[in-house]
Amino acid sequence: MRDEDDLVFHKTCTLLEPFNVRNVTLSRDTDIAGDLEIDSVAVLDLIMEVEDDYRISIPMNMLSDIRTIGDLVQTIHKQARGA
Amino acid sequence: MDLFDKIAPLPAQHEQIAAMGRDPFGVCMDEVRSATEAIIRGKKVILAGSNNYLGLTFDPESISAAQNALARQGTGTTGSRIANGTYANHRELETELASFFGCKSTLVFPTGYQANLGMISALAGPGDYILMDAHCHACIYDGCRMSGATVIRFRHNSPADLDKRLQRLKRSDSNKLIIVEGLYSMLGDIAPLAEFAEVKRKHNAYLYVDEAHSVGIYGQSGQGVVEQAGVSADVDFIVGTFSKSLGSMGGFCASNHPKFDYLRLASRPYMFTASLSPSVVASVLTALRRIRREPELRDSLWRNVHAFYDRLAAIDLTLAAAPSPVIAVMLPQREEAVLAWNRILDAGVYVNLAIPPGTPDTSSLLRCSVSAAHSQDQIETICGAFEYVAESIREYNARGSNPRTASHVGD
Repeated sequence: MRDEDDLVFHKTCTLLEPFNVRNVTLSRDTDIAGDLEIDSVAVLDLIMEVEDDYRISIPMNMLSDIRTIGDLVQTIHKQARGA
Repeated sequence: MDLFDKIAPLPAQHEQIAAMGRDPFGVCMDEVRSATEAIIRGKKVILAGSNNYLGLTFDPESISAAQNALARQGTGTTGSRIANGTYANHRELETELASFFGCKSTLVFPTGYQANLGMISALAGPGDYILMDAHCHACIYDGCRMSGATVIRFRHNSPADLDKRLQRLKRSDSNKLIIVEGLYSMLGDIAPLAEFAEVKRKHNAYLYVDEAHSVGIYGQSGQGVVEQAGVSADVDFIVGTFSKSLGSMGGFCASNHPKFDYLRLASRPYMFTASLSPSVVASVLTALRRIRREPELRDSLWRNVHAFYDRLAAIDLTLAAAPSPVIAVMLPQREEAVLAWNRILDAGVYVNLAIPPGTPDTSSLLRCSVSAAHSQDQIETICGAFEYVAESIREYNARGSNPRTASHVGD
């Protein structure tokens, strides 16, 4: 389970890399909008990439709960389980 | 802690842009002389970013109708549509619009923004799905948020992506509302509506099309892109505005749904706001009748669109889409776009500056809107200003340094 979680985290970081123009070191605590300084539309575009990669839906309604990379990883798990 | 912390980066960003010349988001038209000309800081400027597609803002018939309504019915209704704010001419406008779209009923709102807010929030709710095109206007995003529905964004103008995202939905038997626009206001590209209609039928969804920038411009009778694509029967809701081709204010939704009129008692942005003033309604009604009577207006617009587009395409600039009344010049760097915008205004032409996140795909845009009222000379001047800017950009790129700061109109 832990391995799978790490895998999701690393994959999420890979998806985030194109948006990481300031070369911030990514951790679970990285604030996606704040630390990476990406705008609201770029966050939405990132979410689309994640949705396609995991073949899940992450409705826009859930975005207010996703602040850090760790939050996004949790959301991917939750949506993949079909919760 | 301060309530304004959430907009803390804005002042510095704004100052940085304004320091490059003028404030692009605070331009004041000191005087508007016609549908295509204004005075800005004492200097005559051609308007090429005003969405005044058919040039009807100074139509003598609309002005006279508005003046009569003002004299006979007063300056405002002082009430909402569900109280004292429904006048005979609100009903007359709704009937005329229904006849124009060949549909059962229409609802009129005080602005186009409120039309989307009012329609989306009333149509969809918790338990429903909304699938919206990623390039939709801010008011559609806001309407979706207000609805409480589960909102999924799909890739711009991609029926295949929409289909894929619909297939992923867990509750496939829930209501599904697909929202797209006819003509997109920033890039000026149109939606592939026939393909979207096919996806809509496959998934038994509703299709909602915002024709804010396309009413009066596309289709044989000017209904919009829906009419042009021949998909009227598949589109459940058409939304639009009176503040562009109709040269006034207000918004609407047209539909054949048998229960559509009950939204008058369910849509909060319709119910809890003052209705359009009688003079505004009279000008819209007159303009609508004129565009129904005079398809030549559309012909003039399209002649200008092609002249404008062909001339710009010959310059070394990147245009965002095929010819449409919205012609957007794409510039990769925000700084380059701000300087170019200032230089175009120096040359006596007003266009819109759009920068991320207000633009799709992280590019900055110099957005032009073509009008039927533009003269050939004006089109030549506008395109000449772009030619001048293209030359500056070439110099800028060649030197790899900042071009000279723009001077100010009237300074």
